[in-house]
Amino acid sequence: MSKHEQFSEKLGKSLIFIFASISLLILLSIVFFIFRDGFLAFKENGFFHFIFGHDWNVQDNTFSVLPLIVGSLVVTIGALLFSVPIGFSCAVFLAEIAPEKVRNIVKPAIDILVGIPSVVFGLLGMILLVPYIRDHYGGPGLSILAAIIVLILMILPTIIAQAEDSIRSVPSSFKNASLAMGATHLQTIWNVILPCAKSGLVSSVMLASGRAIGEAMAIYMVIGNTFTFPKSLIDPSRTLTSNIVGQIEEAAVGGTHLHALFGCGLILLFIVFILNSYSFFIKRRGCRSC
Amino acid sequence: MFKRNKILSVIVGIVAILGIASFMVPSNALTATAKTTIELWLNKPQAKVNGETRWIDDTNHSVTPISKWGRTLLPVRFISENFGLVTLWDAKESKVTVMQGGELAGTISEAGSTSVLPLAEKFALAFMKKHPKVRISYTGGGTGAGIKQSAGGTVDIGAASRDLKISEPDLMVHAIARDGVAIIVNKGIGITGLTIDQLGKIYAGQVTDWKDVGGKSGKINVYTREEGSGTRDTFQSMVLDPAGLKMSPACLAKKSNGEIQMSVQSDPNGIGYVSFGYTEGVKGLLLNGKEPTIENVKNGSYPISRRLYFLTKHNDNLLVQAFIAFCRSDEGQKIVSQEGYIQLAD
Amino acid sequence: MKKNENCDHIKLSVHHLDFFYGKKQVLRKISMDIHKHSITALMGPSGCGKSTFLRVMNRMNDLIPEARAIGTVLLDNEDIYGNNTDVVKLRQRVGMVFQQPNPLPKSIFDNMAYGLRIKGIKDKQKIAELIEKSLKKTSLWGEVKDELHKSALSLSGGQQQRLCIARAIVMEPEMILMDEPCSALDPISTTKIEELMKELVDDYTIVIVTHNMQQAQRVSDWTGFFYMGDLLEFDKTKEIFHHPKEKKTQEYIEGRWG
Ligand SMILES: Nc1ncnc2c1ncn2[C@@H]1O[C@H](COP(=O)(O)OP(=O)(O)OP(=O)(O)O)[C@@H](O)[C@H]1O
Ligand SMILES: [Mg+2]
Repeated sequence: MSKHEQFSEKLGKSLIFIFASISLLILLSIVFFIFRDGFLAFKENGFFHFIFGHDWNVQDNTFSVLPLIVGSLVVTIGALLFSVPIGFSCAVFLAEIAPEKVRNIVKPAIDILVGIPSVVFGLLGMILLVPYIRDHYGGPGLSILAAIIVLILMILPTIIAQAEDSIRSVPSSFKNASLAMGATHLQTIWNVILPCAKSGLVSSVMLASGRAIGEAMAIYMVIGNTFTFPKSLIDPSRTLTSNIVGQIEEAAVGGTHLHALFGCGLILLFIVFILNSYSFFIKRRGCRSC
Repeated sequence: MFKRNKILSVIVGIVAILGIASFMVPSNALTATAKTTIELWLNKPQAKVNGETRWIDDTNHSVTPISKWGRTLLPVRFISENFGLVTLWDAKESKVTVMQGGELAGTISEAGSTSVLPLAEKFALAFMKKHPKVRISYTGGGTGAGIKQSAGGTVDIGAASRDLKISEPDLMVHAIARDGVAIIVNKGIGITGLTIDQLGKIYAGQVTDWKDVGGKSGKINVYTREEGSGTRDTFQSMVLDPAGLKMSPACLAKKSNGEIQMSVQSDPNGIGYVSFGYTEGVKGLLLNGKEPTIENVKNGSYPISRRLYFLTKHNDNLLVQAFIAFCRSDEGQKIVSQEGYIQLAD
Repeated sequence: MKKNENCDHIKLSVHHLDFFYGKKQVLRKISMDIHKHSITALMGPSGCGKSTFLRVMNRMNDLIPEARAIGTVLLDNEDIYGNNTDVVKLRQRVGMVFQQPNPLPKSIFDNMAYGLRIKGIKDKQKIAELIEKSLKKTSLWGEVKDELHKSALSLSGGQQQRLCIARAIVMEPEMILMDEPCSALDPISTTKIEELMKELVDDYTIVIVTHNMQQAQRVSDWTGFFYMGDLLEFDKTKEIFHHPKEKKTQEYIEGRWG
């Protein structure tokens, strides 16, 4: 290696190191701030009360978030319950079954859908879905059902696009091996292609659930934002994120209200952390059997 | 005006005429050609501007002209602002600057209460028309945001639709208008009015069906503002608190007056409360038999109203001062009534 | 349908086969008889259509959109391109080993059991027996019998290829097609696989594509020489290598090009 090459090699490495450190630092400071103010919420309201209570009142200065946690989980799980099977089926269809021509039209369309800002879905939900639910199923229309449908529309393209990519990236040699042994196409998809694409599929679900649980604005527009537990699909409720988005601007600086909102953020962070570790675990297990 | 760190005005003796002080601008003779006439009485907190009675400081009724050293000292801001002059108070140097003429230029950013939004927009338009080199922008976000951002210095002016709380930052508070809070329902709802008592029960979740308050049967969808909203605070303290009621957690919350208006407009069973400026497309209910009109707020018979404020961190930005002075001037207050809000000084 | 006179010895008979990828013709008027219990080697320069021809025999080309075969291919006197051919059954009868070892990302055992389960064999005892038998045939048993549940991908290249052959024969096919099965392997593994083929030929009919002339001479009974989509010459391996009729064949064998 010439002097010059050595120098640019070093320079490159140190630049990468610097950028990596900066982004890590930013990440850590974000986490630090959420923790700092979030912990205050736990301290001020009591750990168990904050998580398991169900009152949120600025005047009485009491805050607790169980209905929000329930709302967030119900809406996210509800959306995943539908969009994962639908999304995977679409992905399989596109990657394995659809003729090239169909794929060439549908795939770019889905990629575009992935990029649509979620507020747009929220707006559509508010204008079309909410009145529809109100007129046909009762209640105020603003409901977890509306939120779930909005989320499904929002995350379905993400799941399809990601899952399709991961299915298509399964080496064709695996597929050939299976078919040459006399497996049918469906058997091959089920027994070889899907298991091989598992890690990518899990990623797609994780990405989608991340989007779902983290979505604030679109959900805020359609879920009704009551501070109550939903008892049926047409009941309104409130999620951790929509709570933050609804109140952060009105909360007095440095007050317990603001801390409580940070507490919501902290809980969200925790849920996302669990999700990610779980997906990491699934992927690791997936690799071992591969 | 310098409420909060209330220095009862730096009072500067300008002219002394025992008993009554009259001013004209410019120094024409005491004739009917005067553009602006201000009459003040010693030790009286009210003055007359062009014959109309006004509080000298509507947030502090103990501000009066006083006599000292054999001179009559008048509140300089009241005088000069009514003459269309810009008055600046520099707390650091304890200095008063009074300015006339000159061209104003620059930008002013505002944020805060959505109840103030329609008014602030009109203020801005009128002010920019007068001073073409000035640009004013307004973003909503609610009273909390207004307080936060003006205290943090990210905007020049915060807008609030409620009084500041003890825990909130120490800001200069400038009243700009009064506002009624209207109770709105969908146009299709058969009732025309409620009592405060019924309203409280609806929001507390004790009355849940329209038929219990004289309407057709149907579950009431109750819309409210988010915690921390100035309008919600007003509603709470004027409707719920007196009856010892709490707002039900099952109320559907929205972030702005506009969203409440929109929801109620499209929800056949909806009820909500909004600033008077947001009643288009929906029905404003009689409250205790009183229509939600400006007259009824003025004469005190309509029960829910509050003051709207501009908030600033310092008093040292000439442009901001001039703008706020404009809003509080006759000209500004005319806009207030045109927009369906209620003028300050009566 | 033309019947071959000594059809009892013929496992598979290709007649006047044209093959197209879209508009591009890659095989022209190919006719060839594959003899039972023999090893047939297919040779020729790269791109001449050997792999394509091999895939004709178990219809793996069906997977390629726009691929078309015209002509007759008779397996035991039945047209495999006929209307009522069950492709899945066909592929169970005609197994295939690919150029690159391609074990599935599963355990060794599951790789072997995969085809059996698909065939509908549920009896665990029987599956285990069949697997053991095939692994012994490919002399892999000794090497892997204690780690059947290890991932097949952790085997060496040669072991993987032998696993793929074992996986093909556990299905008890009638024919095995091998597309350059040794090209990714070292000489020792290659030797093992060649020996394996010679053993297997007693039970199966084998067709192998190879670029290795020595290998063709060592293992095959018949050799076909392809050139740019034509089958230039097809004869007993000895004939082809010692008395080639075509000049091109001779040049190729002598290593002048290709
Ligand atoms: N899927 C396909 N689509 C279109 N053309 C193809 C396809 N596969 C192969 N071909 C073309 O068909 C011709 C024959 O290909 P084939 O793979 O059969 O050659 P081969 O004799 O096996 O070559 P090699 O010795 O390099 O493996 C080549 O020209 C190739 O470009
Ligand atoms: Mg080939």
